[in-house]
Amino acid sequence: MLYEIFRFEIQYRSRRPDTYIYFFILFFFSVIAVDFLFEGELHPLHRNAPLIIARTMGIVSALFMMVVSMIMGVAVLRDFDHQMESLIFVNPITKKDYLLGRFLGSFVVLVLIFSGLPLGMIVGDIMPWHKANELSAFELWHYLQPFLYLVLPTLFFGGALFFISGALSRKLIVVYTQGFFFLMAYLVAMNLAVKNDDLFVTALIEPFTFQTIRIVTAFWTMAERNSMMVPMDDVLLYNRLLWCAIGVGALIIGYYAFNFQVVRDKASKKRRQRAGRGAGTPLASNTLKEIPAVTVRAGIRADLIQLLHHALFNFRFIVKSIPFWAIVLCGMCILIITPFNLGTVYGVDSYPTTDILVGELMENTILFFLAIILFYSGELVWQERDARANGIYDALPVSDTVNLTGKFIGLILSYVVLIVAMILAGIGYQTFSGYYHYELDVYFIGFFGEIFPFLFFLTIVSFFFQVLVNHKFLAHLIVVAFVFASSIMLQVTGFNHGLYTFAAGDLGRYSAMNGYGHFLEPYLWFKLYWLAFSTLLFIVAIILSVRGTETRLLKRWKLSRPRLTRPLLQVSGVSVIVFLLTGGFIFYNTNILNSYLPEPAQNALRADYERTLKRYKNMPQPKIVDVNLHIDLFPYERDYTIEGYYVLANRHNQAINEIHIQKLPNGQVALEYLDMEGGATLNNKYEPFSYYIYELNHPLHPGDSLKMAFRQTFTTTGFTENSDTHVVYNGTFFDNSHLPTLGYNEDIELDDDHVRRELGLAPKVRSAKIDDPIAVLDGKAGGDGEEINFEMVIRTDTSQTAIVPGYLKKEWKEGSRRYFHYKMDKSMSNFYSVVSARYEVLKDYWVPSNDALGDKVDLEIYYHKGHEYNLERMMDGMKKSLDYYSKHFGPYQYRQLRILESTLYKNRAQSFPNTIPFSEGMGFILDINDQEDIDMAFYVTAHEVAHQWWGHQVNPANVQGMAMLSETLSQYAALMVFRETFPEAQVEQLLKLQRESYLKGRSRERSREMPLALVESGQDYIHYGKGLINMHTLMDYISEDSVNNALRRFLTDWNGFQKPLPRYPTTRDLLGCFRRVTPDSLQYVIKDLFERITIYKLKTNEATYERTNAGQYHVKLSLEAQKYSTDSLGNESALAISDWIDIGIYAGEELIYQKKHFITGEHTELEITVNQKPTRAGIDPLHKLIDRKPEDNLHQVTLLQQPDNP
Amino acid sequence: MNNLSITNVSKTYSNGVRALKNVSLEISAGMFGLLGPNGAGKSSLMRTIATLQEPDGGSVKLGELDVLTQKQEVRKMLGYLPQEFGVYPKISAEVLLDHLAVLKGLTNAGERREVVKALLHKTNLYEARKKNLGGYSGGMKQRFGIAQALLANPKLIIVDEPTAGLDPAERNRFHNVLCEVGENAIVILSTHIVEDVKELCTQMAIINKGEVLLTGSPQEAIKEVQGKIYRKIIYKSELDAYKKEHEVISERLLQGKPVIHIYSEGDPGQGFEPVEAELSDVYFSRIFGDR
Repeated sequence: MLYEIFRFEIQYRSRRPDTYIYFFILFFFSVIAVDFLFEGELHPLHRNAPLIIARTMGIVSALFMMVVSMIMGVAVLRDFDHQMESLIFVNPITKKDYLLGRFLGSFVVLVLIFSGLPLGMIVGDIMPWHKANELSAFELWHYLQPFLYLVLPTLFFGGALFFISGALSRKLIVVYTQGFFFLMAYLVAMNLAVKNDDLFVTALIEPFTFQTIRIVTAFWTMAERNSMMVPMDDVLLYNRLLWCAIGVGALIIGYYAFNFQVVRDKASKKRRQRAGRGAGTPLASNTLKEIPAVTVRAGIRADLIQLLHHALFNFRFIVKSIPFWAIVLCGMCILIITPFNLGTVYGVDSYPTTDILVGELMENTILFFLAIILFYSGELVWQERDARANGIYDALPVSDTVNLTGKFIGLILSYVVLIVAMILAGIGYQTFSGYYHYELDVYFIGFFGEIFPFLFFLTIVSFFFQVLVNHKFLAHLIVVAFVFASSIMLQVTGFNHGLYTFAAGDLGRYSAMNGYGHFLEPYLWFKLYWLAFSTLLFIVAIILSVRGTETRLLKRWKLSRPRLTRPLLQVSGVSVIVFLLTGGFIFYNTNILNSYLPEPAQNALRADYERTLKRYKNMPQPKIVDVNLHIDLFPYERDYTIEGYYVLANRHNQAINEIHIQKLPNGQVALEYLDMEGGATLNNKYEPFSYYIYELNHPLHPGDSLKMAFRQTFTTTGFTENSDTHVVYNGTFFDNSHLPTLGYNEDIELDDDHVRRELGLAPKVRSAKIDDPIAVLDGKAGGDGEEINFEMVIRTDTSQTAIVPGYLKKEWKEGSRRYFHYKMDKSMSNFYSVVSARYEVLKDYWVPSNDALGDKVDLEIYYHKGHEYNLERMMDGMKKSLDYYSKHFGPYQYRQLRILESTLYKNRAQSFPNTIPFSEGMGFILDINDQEDIDMAFYVTAHEVAHQWWGHQVNPANVQGMAMLSETLSQYAALMVFRETFPEAQVEQLLKLQRESYLKGRSRERSREMPLALVESGQDYIHYGKGLINMHTLMDYISEDSVNNALRRFLTDWNGFQKPLPRYPTTRDLLGCFRRVTPDSLQYVIKDLFERITIYKLKTNEATYERTNAGQYHVKLSLEAQKYSTDSLGNESALAISDWIDIGIYAGEELIYQKKHFITGEHTELEITVNQKPTRAGIDPLHKLIDRKPEDNLHQVTLLQQPDNP
Repeated sequence: MNNLSITNVSKTYSNGVRALKNVSLEISAGMFGLLGPNGAGKSSLMRTIATLQEPDGGSVKLGELDVLTQKQEVRKMLGYLPQEFGVYPKISAEVLLDHLAVLKGLTNAGERREVVKALLHKTNLYEARKKNLGGYSGGMKQRFGIAQALLANPKLIIVDEPTAGLDPAERNRFHNVLCEVGENAIVILSTHIVEDVKELCTQMAIINKGEVLLTGSPQEAIKEVQGKIYRKIIYKSELDAYKKEHEVISERLLQGKPVIHIYSEGDPGQGFEPVEAELSDVYFSRIFGDR
């Protein structure tokens, strides 16, 4: 019997067109799935790398969970739906045969449908247009393995749950909403990962495994990614077992709960009651009453009343339905279960400010809003037909407009309710966290200004497709595809103008300093434009909506003309006009007043720049040695004028005949004039590149200098497509890269090698070779001039304070303008910031502790009112840093040090001479708990202050390793200060985070990983992450004093601001200093840490102890140690090991034994005696050496089992 | 009072079924019965008159109004009870009726309350007005259907197979309500039950396979066959023989034995006895007879 039912199910399905439609949808989607999901992320990863195949399958199986529900959910349900249950259940079949037969039959069909996935992917990969170097060799198993191990279990548990929920609830709607269970599980898993260091739980419960795979392979190098298959072991295996177990559990529960009777007890009771009333009620005399006469009203008033009534009716329909609450409940659970990601920096939360909460609430709930849109637009459009009440409704005299608009407004009202609930939740959360600065305006603008219009427009699109396609499920799919296409595809292709990106309009990031700033106005224009468009779309939906028996689109189109009533026609007319006018206005602003280039065009221009002008790269140019400028800043108009001069000096031993000027390639920036002293002829044939050649009338001889006077303006007229965030209402911040630079500018070159290759360029040279004799003549400014004298007068609005490097000589007011005159009294880096904002200021001072008579240094923090939380920490950071650095590296060169709060448009801190702009999002609003959190406000301050030495005293050569000299040394310096101030546990926490950032960063490396000493530009994970770890390890091996001595020596030798240098220093010079302080036995450490990529595989296989007679504990360790050096692509080659490595033994949490042992082979047995009972022991307990699997370094220590001696 | 004139209306469905073939009818105020077997095209015609379906050709006029183009105007005067319809199960009769009343244009809340109340009384649903429609029996639901059709004083009421599935008591109640409103409106009742027409209608049409076979008043129709209907109780085995010989218009069982009615211009003899003609004889003679 079981077989018969099974066979029947397969036969039934094989005759249903749905089965084939699903297969082909899956197949065709899978053909392009990789391009679609990984567009732009692949290179140099191969599109058919096993890892990519596995992740794609995971994602696709998640996306197509809907198909699983449509196949499995209806397997039993359809008997009830078609009211076949009486005919089926009356047959002599057992429950087991019936359920199992249906399940297996449907499941086989489901698997066959999903076989479209690997087939489609194979076809996608063998398409002829892929370049050979983008593909690995074809291997069938690479597709089969993930399909069998990842997709099949997903289909099984998904299928089982849908099957059972359909069978038990007998309602399609329950099957539908149940999909949220998976979404929930996924989101919970993801959100757990946000704050948790340990991703095991996330990896375990993520139902579709594509995130699990990501976690499992997080530390894989590019070479591994391209060749290795995702191993089915460990957490991935447990994950699959867990979900299969859930599937089996569901089937078992379902089996016992399924009632093999037509009418369930509960239902039959209801029916009895029902039978009791109604029937047989005596004919009341009332039936003879007259029906009162009524007036049928028409006209606008009547329409409005109908609209309101209909909207409320539909609103109630939505909020009374189960799926709505299921979705809302899921959304609430997400909010409750998952911690907010409160602008976390190194695991430290920010205060729950309103803008952060709004962002988080939106991010966590947007999917649920999308679900409501998708689901209810379908439900509402199909409402009458689903209830079979369409005969009644369609014949009502209500207008098509009122009908569809009423439904639309009803749905919109439900969003409003949810949004208000979220605002209340946010306020509740803030109150609960003891944060009482509610900012209702930010809540309202955030939700109703930003997300609401999007929901509004998308709802219209969803209605539109529901009407157009007239197939609920298909329309759902189309809307999902539309969202993908409009949001992702356009972004990826770079054609992202708001005039054709649906529902576009960028409100920018909310900044406490600048609010929504100048983003608001263009935002509103874009929204008006899309509102007009959506209105037109909606009108089309109205006149095409199904009314009566005609469902064919063509026929509906023919019938639509009389439905386009006068008012509709008028609204359409107005919408067309508004659409055209706003569109024209936007176009006028973005493309005529300002310029807009889509990304491909920008890329082409940049490539052209490189091809045309690269030949000037090494052309001798003078250096900027003096900067003397007047800046007139109008922050509220977003304009500035900069007028003044540079002094340019010829430092070469040949005469210079032409000076090349690069203006910032930004349409808002104009050079009004530029005069060379002694006269010059302008050659502007490179105008399109904003590149100007001044042919000097008189050559500039070696050692000579000239004045270059210029006037540059920044003008804001109208608005642009991508808004500039440098010159803003409050919080203007730009640096000298805004000003004219000299010679060919490598910063304009394209960075992305993939894009470069498409445009016919060789891969980007990220840094010049360390031994490039010309490049070492430039410092970090890259050729423009390195040491300058600096003077600036800056005018700004009276409400603001303007700050640039140097000391304030004079400050005065004239009318509504405020003047500041700054001058630096000594040579400084050619790297200066211009900042203006409404500031409060906190002042303090510091006196060298080792020299009480030394000059005091003024300390100032300029901050945004309300951001007082961490000022003391920053002030403390400045003082302690100045203490440590001046004592160990050399004296601080300035009399003043200032921190300036800057907007979060640039979310980082930067160090300019005596001036540190520090983003509001970085440290000012961190809610630091001294017990648990790393004090990042302190640490970042220490890092930036260290740059006053490493960057502003030592200026590294512009070659490989440059970032090690500035960033890595600053990381080290900050760590040393941090260590002196905070407990060991927090230091370890900091190191751990950096270690992970290195390991993750290297796995994402798209070009080649470099050794630390040869780090190239853009390799943050090396110079920050690995830099900190390796400097800490170096210090551990050769002692803090030795490192500091080496650094002091290096600084004295290479301070180019005190004496002229033949060239700028490289890491070779630094390593030389290190080697001098390192004993011979440890010289290898320098090589391993800095000159090659060294990876250790350290492991403790066994740890036992015996109690000795003296009451001590004799520990025996069996260790494994391997050492590899990795090439730039991640291919490892083994190195012979003869290294000093820490061996550690813990008693509880206390490290009772730590000592370096000389390890000389892969396997080592050690015996160590300690005084306390050991708990854990092993090799490199504090993870000083880079190891991709640090968790197996330690092992539980167990009591040695004595063999029984006879 | 305007007349409803249907002229040469035809409809062929995309699956090739010709639902209506040149149907022409003239319908004036009062109860009009549209009688025909299942699948005769009644519902197609009803839907066309109720503005829900486009005919391929022909015209439908309600007085001056063109039903096919001036749909909104027609709908304002229309009360329609479809043959099969559903209701929102989780809403009470009162609420849904009120909602439908608004959509019919009864935007004055006070008026609406009164008419809803009156109709609920009239259809004897007042006691159950707060109950969710999902809990209604078939008869109650059908009465709700008529209540909604009568909202807003319709001038044209179309009820499609309203009594199918109702028990006799429900049917009576239904007839009473219908009768009352039929006094000053055009009421088109489509049915396959001869008794419905007999009891209610002053005018009627018989329709089969998309064609109108007869129009007129029931009395006239009966008069036409009066004296030409005979009946006989026979054995089952004889049925085929009788069918060959006579124009058998109906066969039914009387206490287990087949009784046949035949149509005959003169006395057929053979033990046939004349019977008083009924509307059903007219109906069956039109549907199954040769005429």
